[in-house]
Amino acid sequence: MEGMEQWKVQVENWTNQLNQLLGQLLEQVHQVPPAQLYVAIAVLVFTVVVLLSIPLFKRKKSNTIVLTGLSGGGKTVLFYQLRDGSYHQGTVTSMEPNEGTFILRSETTKKGKIKPVHLVDVPGHSRLRPKLEEFLPQAAGLVFVVDALDFLPNCRAVSEYLYDVLTNAYVVKKKIPVLILCNKTEKVTAHTKDFIRKQMEKEIDKLRQSRSVVSAADITNDFTLGVPGAAFTFSQCQNRVTVAEASGLTGDISQVEEFIREHVKP
Amino acid sequence: MLEQLLIFTRGGLILWTCKELGSALRGSPIDTLIRSCLLEERSGLASFNYDAPGAAYTLKWTFHNELGLVFVAVYQRILHLLYVDDLLNMVKREFSEIYDPKRTIYDDFDETFRQLRMEAEARAEELRKSKQVMGKPVSNGKKQGQVNKVGFEGGNKKKSECGVARDGDDAMVKDRKMENGHSNGIHVGIKDPKGNGVVNGKENTVSNNGAFDVNKLQKLRSKGVKKTDTVADKVPKADPKKKNMKKNRVWDDSPAEAKLDFTHPADQNGDQDMHVVAAEQGQSMMDEEENVSSESEVEEDEEVERGSKADAKKGWFSSIFQSIAGKANLERADLEPALKALKDRLMTKNVAEQIAEKLCESVAASLEGKKLASFTRVSSTVQAAMEEALVRILTPRRSIDILRDVHAAKEQNRPYVVVFVGVNGVGKSTNLAKVAYWLLQHKVSVMMAACDTFRSGAVEQLRTHARRLQIPIFEKGYEKDPAVVAKEAIQEATRNGSEVVLVDTAGRMQDNEPLMRALSKLIYLNNPDLVLFVGEALVGNDAVDQLSKFNQRLADLSTSPTTRLIDGILLTKFDTIDDKVGAALSMVYVSGAPVMFVGCGQSYTDLKKLNVKSIVKTLLK
Repeated sequence: MEGMEQWKVQVENWTNQLNQLLGQLLEQVHQVPPAQLYVAIAVLVFTVVVLLSIPLFKRKKSNTIVLTGLSGGGKTVLFYQLRDGSYHQGTVTSMEPNEGTFILRSETTKKGKIKPVHLVDVPGHSRLRPKLEEFLPQAAGLVFVVDALDFLPNCRAVSEYLYDVLTNAYVVKKKIPVLILCNKTEKVTAHTKDFIRKQMEKEIDKLRQSRSVVSAADITNDFTLGVPGAAFTFSQCQNRVTVAEASGLTGDISQVEEFIREHVKP
Repeated sequence: MLEQLLIFTRGGLILWTCKELGSALRGSPIDTLIRSCLLEERSGLASFNYDAPGAAYTLKWTFHNELGLVFVAVYQRILHLLYVDDLLNMVKREFSEIYDPKRTIYDDFDETFRQLRMEAEARAEELRKSKQVMGKPVSNGKKQGQVNKVGFEGGNKKKSECGVARDGDDAMVKDRKMENGHSNGIHVGIKDPKGNGVVNGKENTVSNNGAFDVNKLQKLRSKGVKKTDTVADKVPKADPKKKNMKKNRVWDDSPAEAKLDFTHPADQNGDQDMHVVAAEQGQSMMDEEENVSSESEVEEDEEVERGSKADAKKGWFSSIFQSIAGKANLERADLEPALKALKDRLMTKNVAEQIAEKLCESVAASLEGKKLASFTRVSSTVQAAMEEALVRILTPRRSIDILRDVHAAKEQNRPYVVVFVGVNGVGKSTNLAKVAYWLLQHKVSVMMAACDTFRSGAVEQLRTHARRLQIPIFEKGYEKDPAVVAKEAIQEATRNGSEVVLVDTAGRMQDNEPLMRALSKLIYLNNPDLVLFVGEALVGNDAVDQLSKFNQRLADLSTSPTTRLIDGILLTKFDTIDDKVGAALSMVYVSGAPVMFVGCGQSYTDLKKLNVKSIVKTLLK
């Protein structure tokens, strides 16, 4: 009981002190001319708004480029070519995405401020496909790497994956530009990009028919590609789809860099 | 000799390879390892065998999860390299010290590696010598302690060893035998934490027997087996002693063991070939010794756990601080309780025990040594890792777009053939009709082939379905060879332009040899586009057995060089299991084939696709 009473006394003391302080504060505020007060409040509101809106602005101007494609296409090599200008001692199948925010290797000699690129290399193994969706919401561009050397045996698998990518909800809604990059063109037997484009268009045209009738139980993509009744071409896509060539091993990657800089302005 | 040693990041960049070894590997063992083992949640295994034309490699690996590094060693399978595990661990330790995420070239590691390798080789040599001299090496226990991976491949190892042993001359046989015992020891030593007491002893003898059978020492063999039997009898006797030792662990050192060792010859009727017998006993004793030590380890672990719990009760402030700051590194002991809870949860969801065990093992391997992020608990970290693993497993590796394949087959002017296989009464015919209905809806012309010429009424059942769906059926009555019936059905389909042939087969138990032979004949004769395994979702542990045996039989009984395995799974009776969806996981994990359809009711429309996300959610609920 005694403790309680002591406690009460102390609390009363504190409230008194608080009241006094409050009174003093109010007096001081009254002494300040109202014009100054308003300015102070305005400044406060302004800073808060600016601070809050920074992330919003950032999200609009995304600088993320996603590298994707089937396993063995050369994505990791491209990633390191873009970052370091070398693929070091070679690569093996990736188990996790490679991520990095950097200025492209070819631009390091340029003067002035250059906006760094956030590059993500998503593993191509089919078990790791779900990883791609994690990065798509922030992607400013998508590079779909195709193995031009080993294209024909994998044609169907590649086309199916590309179909999945092109009908992905984010890609369609945000119209993420896609670059189909035919890698390994340094090899003599590699296919040309026109051949690959035609083959893939043909495959996707077939896929379009079979996919549109897949049972409605577990549909992940509600979007259909192209114009019904006409043969599919990439130009029918709502987002921009371009085809380019590159060679990861020799470092001939100027077309990728162009694509990246087109969508992530320096 | 070691063929190659690689260090690479999980992202796939090779950081260091041994240039000295340098010999080019045949095929691509590393990529195969990653694709078919590490990414399939089988990283809990001890080793991986890679076969390519002209090469047979064994790969061993270890992870450094905190830094995201993978260390892989490759060597010829016929060589049994004892030091690889040791070497990998040493390389891991040394390399993690100099690792820097920004650096990509580690030329200075060459020198370190050379030293490490020499060290490891020397140690292995010493180990072998000491074993030869003493018969019962003390250092062995130490070595076993270092091998901390679970050896599911123990059997494999033994096999390869026995191959070598047969080649070797008599003098070598003894030596090899020692090795055998050693690998045996590892095998059992690892099993220990799971089993306990008497059961354990029996297991030991069983594996011992296997080892002796394998070593064909003519005379010794029969006696050896007898010996092990007596040892088996003795194990329970030894148990009370062990308990004694457990109470006062301080006294548990070599003299006591030596005493224990001597009791055995006293009990036995004397034998001439004492030498080898002694070695055998030494071996099984070695296991016992291992038992004691591992039990005490377990006890210690428990004590540690208890201690940590007490700590948690005592100072919640420190635990909160820890959760905010993030725990330093996750260790096996930290993960153990969470993993056990998760395993139990998976098993209540009807996942086969074996599979749950392997999954937890693999998740543990992927988390060990990782840093715990702030504001997270161990259990939630483990759960997240498990969820990722489950999604990865259940995501189909190959395309499951049958319609696409049907169109492709049509372009080649041949029918697309699907064979339904499975054990009795799982619903093959019913679901065949459902698939037919689904295909019909998508304007594909279907033909049924009644190749169940065994069970009475099967043809009539299928005929009824065919009549209701108004599709042609190919039947030849009963007592015909199903393989021939299927062949004729496909010819008929080619003639009348059917796009898909659905072949119904008789249900068969996986152990029924003549029926399995008939099935493999059917498959090899007709080479279908899709071999669909029909399994019921009600099945628990038996799912593993069914699928692995079906696959095994199809591979073993094949007459052609290319083996055809199960391509897909049709999961039936899915509406009857509520949340016990574990069979889906077990089946996919065992076979690696995707679940293509899910049957969930009695009407023709009750055919769905597997929703991976909801399955994973249900499994972890």
